[in-house]
Amino acid sequence: MAAIRTFVKNCQIINRNCAVLSPHVQKHGMSQYPSYYIEPVHKKEIQEDLIKSGEIQKLAHLPTKAARNDQSSSFRQDDLVNLFINYVMRNGEKVLARGLVEKAFENIKRIQLEKYHKCDDVEKKAKIELAPRVIFHQAVENCKPILALTPIKRGGVRYQVPVPITPKRSQFLSMKWLIEAAKEKDATMRFHYQLALELIDAANNKGRVVKRKQDLHKQCEANRAYAHYRWS
Amino acid sequence: MLRHLNALVEPSVKYFQANNQWVSVLFTARVEAKTFSTSPQKPEPQLKKNVSKAMKAYLERAKEHDEFMKQQNVEFQIGKRHLANMMGENPDTFSQEDIDNAIQYLFPSGLFEKKARPFMRPPEEVFPQRKAAEFDETGRPYHFLFYTGKPNYYKLMHDIVDHINEAYKFEDTMIRKGIKPDPNLALDMSGFQWIDKESLEAELVETIGDKDYETFSTTMDRLYKLPYSYRSKDFLFKYRKPLMSHEKTYQAPKPQYDADGRAFITTYECLRKRARGHVTIRSPGTGKVTVNNQDLTYFAEVQSREQVSETVLIINNRDVYPFMEELIARPFSKKYDILKKYNMC
Repeated sequence: MAAIRTFVKNCQIINRNCAVLSPHVQKHGMSQYPSYYIEPVHKKEIQEDLIKSGEIQKLAHLPTKAARNDQSSSFRQDDLVNLFINYVMRNGEKVLARGLVEKAFENIKRIQLEKYHKCDDVEKKAKIELAPRVIFHQAVENCKPILALTPIKRGGVRYQVPVPITPKRSQFLSMKWLIEAAKEKDATMRFHYQLALELIDAANNKGRVVKRKQDLHKQCEANRAYAHYRWS
Repeated sequence: MLRHLNALVEPSVKYFQANNQWVSVLFTARVEAKTFSTSPQKPEPQLKKNVSKAMKAYLERAKEHDEFMKQQNVEFQIGKRHLANMMGENPDTFSQEDIDNAIQYLFPSGLFEKKARPFMRPPEEVFPQRKAAEFDETGRPYHFLFYTGKPNYYKLMHDIVDHINEAYKFEDTMIRKGIKPDPNLALDMSGFQWIDKESLEAELVETIGDKDYETFSTTMDRLYKLPYSYRSKDFLFKYRKPLMSHEKTYQAPKPQYDADGRAFITTYECLRKRARGHVTIRSPGTGKVTVNNQDLTYFAEVQSREQVSETVLIINNRDVYPFMEELIARPFSKKYDILKKYNMC
């Protein structure tokens, strides 16, 4: 009897605090850190900006999360590249993933250099981008979709409805498609070489990945009529 | 003398007799003439006070608690002096910190729960505070807000509002004079927050609800945000608590000096996952890194090398002397884990 009473009491406590708990849980999902922990800032320039604007006063008294192994304050550090390496990684083989992406960048450099030296036209030469990182950023940017199709069931039928997507999801899809396209290769071809080719193509707004994005956009346009199914 | 009085009184008596009023009163007045004398009056007999048992018990309890606290205080002071004597220190300048150190020395305890370890503190911190008698024997409360049930809390809220109104009045006079508030004098509360609910309850010696605490918080915020809140600085500072600061929580180790006179710090047993190692940082240094008597190429992976040279970067970014770092590391497992070092001077 007493046990039942305590159980009911605990349920009441949980119910009372549920409203408090759920946004708390949603805010930092599966993170080990409480929500008020801040990300460490590695780059000196960003730190100086914070000091200038006075934001540092608010952050100085908040606890910071531990720095990750793939973060450093060197100038070569790039958050997007790190994210891309993580997406390439399988089974926690960070060394392999990082090696592949670095080799892909090396390949990009070689290909671009070849183009550059073979080109005679001065104007065209100036337009050739040699920095692999710039090409990578451009490629990711060019492959980002704006809308996506989601299946929505109305009247027993599943319609593919065009819906807007968040910038983060858009970026994720772009990088995922690039990696998928690099995997669709001949057995003799190396992944890092195919990835390099894909990145260069995407940066020039052609190639398989950009086509995939454009096909998706065409489908969204075609299914425009179902757009109102979002709100039924 | 009485004849004269009667002569004065008689016409009015006749009038009243005619009107049938005040007769008996006057008669008694005539009979019982008061005697006026110069000697001090005899004290009137004390009326017996009917104090209920509950009231008596309440007052007794309050008195007992006061006496108990006084006694404890006396004991604490004497005990402090004895302790100072034992430790060979001056009893007059024996601070709480000294007491804590002395107790730690005399009663070393390895208990995990720090609150279970022996301590010696002033009785106000040890015993839960109780309010003194809130009303006198007649039942009349001393505090004007007694009947709110939380007089100290509501008094505090009234105080805050008083400060707010004062700040408004001052602002009005300043506006009339045409003077703007000085931004340099404005209070900076970026490293502080209001005291938490438990501390507030302990200070007020009252239990307050969550909503009350929120009201307190928002009202204090309102006061603090006013341009002339610096005039109520003392009041605001009483109720604020500093947030943690990295510099204060982190205690940097002190450097040792080797034969050449160069400062160095060695951190032993740095660990991450299965990796173990000792790290030595020397200053002034050359920026060279040695790992297990080898170059940075000891690490086959670029990421590990980056992490190690990160330390050089951090120190260089802070414009500190370049240093030489020695990492005496033991072999890692297949996962190529690297050590994270945060022990820089």
